[in-house]
Amino acid sequence: MFEVMMYDGGVYRSDELFEMIEDVGGVVLNKNRSAQMLIVTMSIPGEDKAAVKKLCEAIGGTVKSVPLAGTEIAVVGPTLGRHHMPHPICDIAEELRRYGAITVVMGLARGRGKATSQISMKEREIIEEYDAAIFMMGNFKSCIEAKTDIIKDIRTPLMLVTGPMPEGLEDTCEAIIPGVGRKTERMRLPPERTKLDEIADRMDEILREKRRTIEEDPLFVHPAEVKQLLEDYEPIDMSLRPAPIVLHLDGLRVKIPMKEHYEDLYNVEVYGRKLGEVASISESKINDSSTLIRIKTRSQVEDEDRQKKA
Amino acid sequence: MRMEVSGTDEWGSEAYRKLFEDIMSDIGKSSLIDTAVLVLRAEIPFFVFSVKLRAEPSSRTVSDVASLRQEGSTVHLSITDEKYAPEILAQLWKRYGRGSVVQQTRFDLDAENAEREEVGSLVVSSGDEFMQEIIGAVWRIMPEGIKARHSFSNGDTMTIMATEEIIQPYMMEEALKIHRALLEREASDV
Repeated sequence: MFEVMMYDGGVYRSDELFEMIEDVGGVVLNKNRSAQMLIVTMSIPGEDKAAVKKLCEAIGGTVKSVPLAGTEIAVVGPTLGRHHMPHPICDIAEELRRYGAITVVMGLARGRGKATSQISMKEREIIEEYDAAIFMMGNFKSCIEAKTDIIKDIRTPLMLVTGPMPEGLEDTCEAIIPGVGRKTERMRLPPERTKLDEIADRMDEILREKRRTIEEDPLFVHPAEVKQLLEDYEPIDMSLRPAPIVLHLDGLRVKIPMKEHYEDLYNVEVYGRKLGEVASISESKINDSSTLIRIKTRSQVEDEDRQKKA
Repeated sequence: MRMEVSGTDEWGSEAYRKLFEDIMSDIGKSSLIDTAVLVLRAEIPFFVFSVKLRAEPSSRTVSDVASLRQEGSTVHLSITDEKYAPEILAQLWKRYGRGSVVQQTRFDLDAENAEREEVGSLVVSSGDEFMQEIIGAVWRIMPEGIKARHSFSNGDTMTIMATEEIIQPYMMEEALKIHRALLEREASDV
């Protein structure tokens, strides 16, 4: 069983850490270097956790638990206007990053208002690209309840963060966390920090449930293994975007245009198969500079093989 | 600042009281507001924000925000309220030209070939600008989607009402009633 942990320390002797991760058969999920400081999120076999932790401490760093590592979460507000941004949407996104997730902040084009709020099909499809989404709503119970239509058809685990507790929305989302609402300043007071922890913990539970569902019919290959294979692909290696490969629970987001690289991605060899055969490769709905790879389950691949033979 | 908040949503009323206090405090206007009346009916939706100032906003001149001294044909200015420093400089440049204005330090300026009275009477902030700042803040506090808005302003009192679609006559009447009641109220001593 692989476990995810995060090294937070200096770059000094970090090459020893990378060697050890490779030796134990682990994977670097994310590496973020800022001047002399280094943050490495890694996935390593459970039995080697103690040894890696010991090395991290020996080279002057600290080890943190990151339960949301390997996931990408969207935090969605009604708009990106100053009524809703930056607080508390960015505070929530920051808290999720502390838990190891990659986050994006989104605003709907016409999400404000009570009777006039809307979501477009494209916005819905973009949100569904993520492992989970958090919808931030405001201070009036009747307004939140009137916005049920915005969230009811989204097919990705959804959490609603609101001011008052709405009624009748329990079936439209995985969780509702009340007690936040509109804010004009950072959530830095102890009760607010506790609320942020509650949001992140609840998101952890939601994603654990999604992981359990995926494990019932396991993926053909773990996304982290595909990440390892793709890291050496030159356009990705040369990409200047902060995280050129982002892991999802059931695949990856690769930040290179699909049109130019489809053939190369399709033909990457994975356990004797082509990646295109064991995963669906599609263009991201956000724009054409990202490619989504959703790995098929083992049963799906077997079923497709059977159909081909027949 | 006295606040009277009435609404049908308990959480929303309390949240908007705090939003109003925080945003007015952020723009440094809370000490200048005598009373604020907030009516919040999200179920319609219909909102009225009425604000009575401690005093009717008036224009501020250079002599209100800086001390002046005449020496020969030069006027020395020492700015006492930092907030107006950029506007003072802009007004001096406009009136006397850049070549005649010397900045000794951030707060000390010399205006050459100038008269003390003339420099002192230059307007650095009009009452309208002050009201605009308050209106801007109220718009920022109001829910974003409630876009059909109307405002009333008389002397030291201003009222903004808002709804989402068509402004109904009863909404105008109610907002006017709140506006008149606040207008007639005496400013508190607090």
